[in-house]
Amino acid sequence: MLGYYLDLARRSFKKNVALTILMVLAIGFGVGASMTTLTVLRMLASDPIPQASGKLFTVQLEPRKARGENPPEPPEQVTRFDSETMLREAKGDRQAMMTGGSVAIEPQRPGLDPFFSEARFTSMDFFAMFRVPFVAGGAWTAEDDAKNGHVVVIARTLAEKLFGATDVIGKTVQIEGTPMRVVGVTDRWLPTPHFYDLNTGEYGQVEQVYVPFSTSRELNLHRSGSMECWGEHGGNSTALDAPCVWIQYWVELESDAKVAAYKDYLVAYSQEQKRTGRFERDPNVRLRNVMEWLDYKEVVPNDARIQTWVALGFLLVCLINTIGLLLTKFLRRSPEIGVRRALGASKRSIFMQLLVEAGMIGVVGGLLGLALAWLGLWAVRHQPTDYAELASLDLPMLLGTFGLAVVSSLLAGLLPAWRACQVTPALQLKSH
Amino acid sequence: MLTMKQVSKVFRTAMVETHALRELDLQVNEGEFVAVTGPSGSGKTTFLNIAGLLEELTSGSYLLDGVDVKSLDDHARSKLRNEKLGFVFQSFNLIPDLDLFDNVDVPLRYRGFSRGDRKKRIESALERVGLVSRMRHYPAELSGGQQQRVAIARAIAGDPKLLLADEPTGNLDSQMAREVMQLLEDLNAQGTVVVIVTHDPEIAARAQRNVHIVDGVATDLDRGPSLVRPAKPAKSGDHPAA
Amino acid sequence: MHFLPIISTLRRHRTAAALIILEIAFTCAIVCNAVFLIKERLGRMDRESGIVEDEIVRVQITGIGTRSDADAVTQQDLAALHAIPGVKAVHVTNMVPFGQSSSNTDASNKPDDAVGGVNVGMYMGGPEQVETLGVQLTSGRDFTPEEYVDYDAMRSSAVKLGSVIVTRALAERLYPGQNAVGKPIYMIGDAPQTIVGVIEKIARPNEITETAEAQYSALIPVNLPFTIGGNYMIRVEPGRQAEVLAAVDAAFNKVDRNRIVLHRDTFAKIRESYFRQDRAMAWLLFGVSLALLVITALGVVGLASFWVQQRTRQIGIRRALGATKGDILRYFQAENFILATIGIVIGMGLAYGINLWLMQKYAVARLPGEFLPIGAVLLWSLGQIAVLGPAMRASAIPPAIATRSV
Repeated sequence: MLGYYLDLARRSFKKNVALTILMVLAIGFGVGASMTTLTVLRMLASDPIPQASGKLFTVQLEPRKARGENPPEPPEQVTRFDSETMLREAKGDRQAMMTGGSVAIEPQRPGLDPFFSEARFTSMDFFAMFRVPFVAGGAWTAEDDAKNGHVVVIARTLAEKLFGATDVIGKTVQIEGTPMRVVGVTDRWLPTPHFYDLNTGEYGQVEQVYVPFSTSRELNLHRSGSMECWGEHGGNSTALDAPCVWIQYWVELESDAKVAAYKDYLVAYSQEQKRTGRFERDPNVRLRNVMEWLDYKEVVPNDARIQTWVALGFLLVCLINTIGLLLTKFLRRSPEIGVRRALGASKRSIFMQLLVEAGMIGVVGGLLGLALAWLGLWAVRHQPTDYAELASLDLPMLLGTFGLAVVSSLLAGLLPAWRACQVTPALQLKSH
Repeated sequence: MLTMKQVSKVFRTAMVETHALRELDLQVNEGEFVAVTGPSGSGKTTFLNIAGLLEELTSGSYLLDGVDVKSLDDHARSKLRNEKLGFVFQSFNLIPDLDLFDNVDVPLRYRGFSRGDRKKRIESALERVGLVSRMRHYPAELSGGQQQRVAIARAIAGDPKLLLADEPTGNLDSQMAREVMQLLEDLNAQGTVVVIVTHDPEIAARAQRNVHIVDGVATDLDRGPSLVRPAKPAKSGDHPAA
Repeated sequence: MHFLPIISTLRRHRTAAALIILEIAFTCAIVCNAVFLIKERLGRMDRESGIVEDEIVRVQITGIGTRSDADAVTQQDLAALHAIPGVKAVHVTNMVPFGQSSSNTDASNKPDDAVGGVNVGMYMGGPEQVETLGVQLTSGRDFTPEEYVDYDAMRSSAVKLGSVIVTRALAERLYPGQNAVGKPIYMIGDAPQTIVGVIEKIARPNEITETAEAQYSALIPVNLPFTIGGNYMIRVEPGRQAEVLAAVDAAFNKVDRNRIVLHRDTFAKIRESYFRQDRAMAWLLFGVSLALLVITALGVVGLASFWVQQRTRQIGIRRALGATKGDILRYFQAENFILATIGIVIGMGLAYGINLWLMQKYAVARLPGEFLPIGAVLLWSLGQIAVLGPAMRASAIPPAIATRSV
């Protein structure tokens, strides 16, 4: 029977081309718009590191001066003193301190001018914690951290730009006048969003150069990101004891018990700092895992959410429109339906026949919607926003587009099909 | 074959109650060719609709080929309609977008016959009505009489037990009308029970049996008065037994 | 016009009528909010920077490695840039209106004010800052040459920063109703600075929220070396922006080749970049609104055509009984009007509901009351235009249909 219904549907479309096209366009545009915005939203709200996001935590302490009421939330970053201390005490399974920066690179290749590159100044565990893939070599050692080793990890694209190859371990990169030895080359890595430091861009390009933090201070490399100071620092806000927060501190904790234990450690540490007079307020610590952190920072732009709602509202109106058009289409065929019923079609047969027709519109509309979503994401990719390049249809979204179109047209067809199959054969034939 | 006992049909609206059929009794047996006559508004169309399972009766009982229709749901009624009945309408009611082959095919599809089986039946039915050569033409390309013949082919393709015709010659000229009636008589001769509703006495005369419906009550014009069952005092229009 | 018969007819076609009403309602609700959001965004994009935008270009450079001679080199840069034909004024600054990156601090009219302080943007710049930016002084004066301090000296607290210029909004906030010139402001270091001048306004590089703080900025008289921020703001003669931008690379290289130019923008480009999201959003909302109106109109056409076809016989009978073509036309228009009205009423309710939700979740402003009549008129017109076609077809039905027996 399905083949018969498909054939009847096809005939019905041919007979009423304008109406069919209108319905297909409505479903196509509604689905296309919805899937474009949903894909973008899904990408923006995605887990940047699903294999470990539950185990990675960002640390927040309250080191600021006690003036007036206690602020409810401690600052989002930590001081250099606290980071280096916590790093030394190493109470987590892994931990790393980090900040963003920018470095000038003087290529040795003739014909390449010096250029600027985003950098990250961090400690050894960064790479293991964040599961950074390497195409050659690996992270530097603890000794490099301790002794300001002149080593560097660079990204694959940078290696190819500087040396034309990725197997460049041991080669030298001239950074701000200092030769640095390459110990590792990272493979393509684009955590979305840039969760570990949202100050240097939430989505989009990641750092190309990684330098040990201690080395970056030795060479006085330029830092970037956000800094908040609450006291006098005598002009050097990046000094070890400067009253400024500008460092992100992440720790990896394998189990809930360890999380609880680490939190206790942070509180104890804060109390100790208060006792020595460095901290002035009561302990106010935070330990947020990746998704909690992203949620707290409200990293998904409101605009993306609003756009998604608007697109869904649009789809809703398209569906209501389709219900109406299907209703008229089916009811116009009451005479034919009456004949079929008289000839022995049950209500259910008529219902199925009409539902198949609605479904077919969904299929064609789905194909159109797919094309439009692809087009929409192409347009998004060419927007000069940070996250633009990442917007594309992966398999689940592709299937989702199609599914959405078919399901919504079937839903839209339910009421019209039901109404149409209620037509009593006797009434119809009498009027003839 | 068709047994109606005390069948009543009442149409109720907010203000008016219309008794289209009043405790009608009728029995049609195998091999009969019945013409049902009566003035307009007498209830003969209602009778046909009920006989054809197109409408439900308000009270009474109706057995079609031994099956009591009262207990049937829509699905079962459709099936019964599909298997046992064939319809021929005054305005042909062919589906204009389908060619003749596909038109005759419609009831067979709901029957669930295999593809080859359907093809055989359609061709044979169209052959019987003399239109198999124009199988792929569309209804609009045919004359009125030819369209009616296709409708008849559609009605018989499934080998129904009972053929119900509502003014089958109403829209035809006298030559075509005679052809159609001849076709119906041939079918009857081959074993199909035929019940025609008509107001044309000439057509009625060709039937083997005449039933007259007036004010919702059926009277056989060729049988005795024992079947007359006036439920109310005699009204004008009630025909006394001949 | 007799409305009651129309309504009773509609009740018999309840489903289709309900669908049209729903479609109009949802379209009304969504379009009203979308248009309001567009208005909000366009309003944002219109925000004044306070500076002479069409005469300003910005060049941002950075050096390689640590420089001990940054101050001297910066002075040479300024001289070299001045020498470019078309340049009227130059200064080096740490941040730029709508430039995203910002330096802020807390400021107050009291020392050590933890509660009453406000967040203020700090526009640091050497002599010619006021002239380059073209900001309007509403009271007080520009800085004198002695008031400028060197950056390193200020950072190490060797020299105290004495004077600042603030925006009018900040002056009002710190000293409401008074003349702020000459009053102290506690911003940098322990000792206060003195407000020597008040400018009309200058936009901050970014705003975290659209609160009053977006208007609080101060001009700080500091001689910055190019290694801090590295933004060279250049005021040029009108129309010569492109010409000057083409010449800056040569000027910098003549002074010192060992630098990288990060940005070369007219201010218009900075502004465009900053409001890109808003522009994209406005376009998207516009597109969706248009599509919604088109779809709703087509839906009305579809359903009305169907009704005309269903009622062909009745229309013919009416005509046969004396109704004119105009009567038939007006009938359908009245029917559409009723449906649209119900839809608009529901739609407006929905619109305000959606607005309340947007207000709560996404900090949108309240939907102004004038949207009600405007939206109503828009949708009424849409409906009437859409129904015109089918209604004209209905009025063209010949009375002869009444006598035809089908």
